[in-house]
Amino acid sequence: MNLNWSGQERIPAPKATVWAFINDPEQIASCLPEVRETKIIDAKNFEATVAVAIGPVRGKLKFKIALQTRADGNHLDMRINGGGLGSVVDLIAGADLTAEGDAATVLDWQATASMRGPIATMGGRTVDSQAHRVIGETFANVKKRLSAQG
Amino acid sequence: MTATTGNGEARHAIGVAMKRKEDPRFIRGRGRYLDDIKLPGMLYLALVHSPYPHARIRSIDKSAALALPGVAAVITGEDLDAAKLEWLPTFHGYDKQMVLAFGKVLYQYQEVAGVVATSREIAADGAELVEVEYEPLDPVVDPFQAKEDKVILRDDRTQKTNHIYHWEVGDRAKTASALDASDVRIKERIVSPRCHPAPLEPCGILADMNRATGRLTIYMTSQAPHVHRTAFSLVTGIPEDKIHVISPDVGGGFGNKVPVYPGYVVATVASVLTGIPVKWVESRTENLTTTGFARDYHMDVELGATNDGRVTALRVATVADHGAFDAAADPRKYPAGLFGIVTGSYDFPAAFAEVDAYFTNKAPGGIAYRCSFRVTEASYAIERAMDVLARRLGLDAVELRRRNFVKKEQFPYASPLGFTYDSGDYHATMQKALDIVGYDELRREQAEKRGRGELMGIGISSFTEVVGAGPGKQFDILGIKMFDSAEVRIHPTGSGIVRAGTRHQGQGHETTWAQIVAEELGLDPQELLVEEGDTDTAPYGLGTYASRSTPVAGAALAMASRRIREKARKIAAHLLEAPVDDVEWKDYKFGVKGIAGKSVTMKEVAFAAYTNPPPESEPGLEATYYYDPPNMTFPNGTYVAVVDVDRETGAVNVRRFVAVDDCGTIVNPMIVEGQIHGGLTEGFAIAFMQEIKYDESGNNLNTNFTEYLIPTALETPYWETGKTTTPSPHHPIGAKGVGESPNVGSPQAFVNAVIDALAPLGVTHLDMPLTREKIWRAVSTSGA
Repeated sequence: MNLNWSGQERIPAPKATVWAFINDPEQIASCLPEVRETKIIDAKNFEATVAVAIGPVRGKLKFKIALQTRADGNHLDMRINGGGLGSVVDLIAGADLTAEGDAATVLDWQATASMRGPIATMGGRTVDSQAHRVIGETFANVKKRLSAQG
Repeated sequence: MTATTGNGEARHAIGVAMKRKEDPRFIRGRGRYLDDIKLPGMLYLALVHSPYPHARIRSIDKSAALALPGVAAVITGEDLDAAKLEWLPTFHGYDKQMVLAFGKVLYQYQEVAGVVATSREIAADGAELVEVEYEPLDPVVDPFQAKEDKVILRDDRTQKTNHIYHWEVGDRAKTASALDASDVRIKERIVSPRCHPAPLEPCGILADMNRATGRLTIYMTSQAPHVHRTAFSLVTGIPEDKIHVISPDVGGGFGNKVPVYPGYVVATVASVLTGIPVKWVESRTENLTTTGFARDYHMDVELGATNDGRVTALRVATVADHGAFDAAADPRKYPAGLFGIVTGSYDFPAAFAEVDAYFTNKAPGGIAYRCSFRVTEASYAIERAMDVLARRLGLDAVELRRRNFVKKEQFPYASPLGFTYDSGDYHATMQKALDIVGYDELRREQAEKRGRGELMGIGISSFTEVVGAGPGKQFDILGIKMFDSAEVRIHPTGSGIVRAGTRHQGQGHETTWAQIVAEELGLDPQELLVEEGDTDTAPYGLGTYASRSTPVAGAALAMASRRIREKARKIAAHLLEAPVDDVEWKDYKFGVKGIAGKSVTMKEVAFAAYTNPPPESEPGLEATYYYDPPNMTFPNGTYVAVVDVDRETGAVNVRRFVAVDDCGTIVNPMIVEGQIHGGLTEGFAIAFMQEIKYDESGNNLNTNFTEYLIPTALETPYWETGKTTTPSPHHPIGAKGVGESPNVGSPQAFVNAVIDALAPLGVTHLDMPLTREKIWRAVSTSGA
């Protein structure tokens, strides 16, 4: 089952600041909602354990997250692979940054996920909206943290 | 107990609507199902399932699971391979099935490992800790894609193709030329979608290897305990006398509890390895995703007819999706089961049917869900196609059927696809259904409503089943002829115990069998205890599925009772001091020809059999009979559904449903009616709400009861039933079997009714399940 989502955040911080933030696994990890545990592997990789409760799928999912940047400093891909409770999730979330003057940045994000196992059964219904919310909150948290810093 | 049957015959026990003897324990919660059985110190098995439908297994790491306190063992395909238990034969013997995935997984939720632990919860936690590394492969979920052989799914086979078998029956050339010569031809792709029997009690086993006695006791949810004993012996090499299979109370089977599943084998291996009893009870998700599904037949149906509505030829080409292994529980020589019944109730001069089956990355199965092997698919195809033809001819669906029915005087009727139909009166059965429903008046009402733009439909199904497999010369499973058996023992005080090789799952055998024996012997059915399901005590039989219990074991019961009656006659002669030849069985007791008032009852004879047997004779009063039927039986019926379809929402209201069945002699009319109600409810669910669907990635989308719907009393229509009776001429008591008729006969009545309602919009066919969305889309896109 494949799902797609997208969204936009307007962040009151210079593009370079946003770029540095989303390239830092520690910072990104702290923006993931409902995270129980994170483990930073290196500058590009970290692991996260997430609590889920979607219909009959209740418990912890473990994900490996890899950050991949484009040299132009405008685009970041987060590759998220993992699962648990008999389910597997492969997700790619991409973020494009556009400077809006010197003090603001527009973050456009798109994500696609393929899911297998019990979690896919709930497909177009619960999972769709829950996953949309989690990814959306992640980027909203990026904005919140950066706004607070500013 | 003496009663009058519906036919006005005075009968002692047969035809009596006796309350079910098993119900007092069921309705008080005192049944003893598999999961009620607890043995001291027993361990629990949980299985690890693959999230991928097609993948290579790179590694399995047991260490974290083994480190969990309470985990006793973790078993993988490699371990089973070392024990030569990795492959399981399937029932018809031309394919095999992996017990635990080894090398490759071939369907989502396939069993990959087993964790044995001291509690169910620890076993489940342990299963979570087994780390399996997969290399995902592209799945093939569509049988038409599998047919192209671009990806060969099974690398364990020497044949490098996804094609499993080709089966055909009938005269190909004659049918082709008859179709070509027909005035009118129709062709329709008719799909009988993948569905699941979903019995309320899922499958399970409690395997108990006793190292002191060397005996393996297996409690399992089994519709065929004797065959399972033989299968376990063949698979494990344990001598059959060292295996004791007990099938306790079974909470519904519907064909789902016929095959042998990986969980059974792994639990047994675990008990053999540990010497401790091991229990495995599957979850609802495991039941829906791994155990035997039903149907998944994609049928191209062609009919030819003359302009005046006489059918000339039938041709069916079917693509069957069998999933990852060919675990269809069909008799050995019948890979497409009894699909040859596809000519239905009609007299076709020419017919030809072929089935090609393919492997896909889906769960294996293809079991007979409350139907004799593939009869439901066949019946659905012909009844749907007859409606398409009627519409093309501009003939009423009833009239087309009437013109083409096999006539009463044609029985025994040799069908062009090789069956000899034993009996029936299709015209009378249909007429009865039409009279009950008030057909002509409904058609008038429909015409009026159509005038106002309202969507009302009337659907007919005039089906013929073939059940009661079967003659041993044609049918076998694992080489074992499909006979069945009965043992009757009458105690000195005239009560008795009755055992059969069948195993009921709620069908009421404990009552019905007692009634058959009571009828033959003039005894009280309340005093005849019926016992099934224990291979140490019951005679060997092939089990309960395919509507075979009353046609086969029911016949064995009557014949065993007649053996007892023969012996009893000699004892009666001794008691009556009359020559044996002068003693006759009349009015349920022994009398002497020509001498009124001199008689003895079976009870008196039973007492004498133990206390005062004739000199030089063998004491006791018991008999066993193994019955190999000379032919199948052919239950039939006409069902009429009346529906109203809401244009705006696609909702269907089944306003009336009349089911008139001819199942031959009825042993217990109340039980038969209950069977019909249950089967109609299942047929209703299949027609409107149930499908095991896979997405393009091979995800099973119907893994629980929020996605795979079971109708409650709220959705279920009100059922009206009726009957006609043409007894089977070859069955000792004339019974044909009824358990499966309502499931076989009803889906097409619902679908035909909905299509009839949508006919003014130009809709000629829709595939099941007819969900509101599907109907709404059909209405919205019709432009009407």
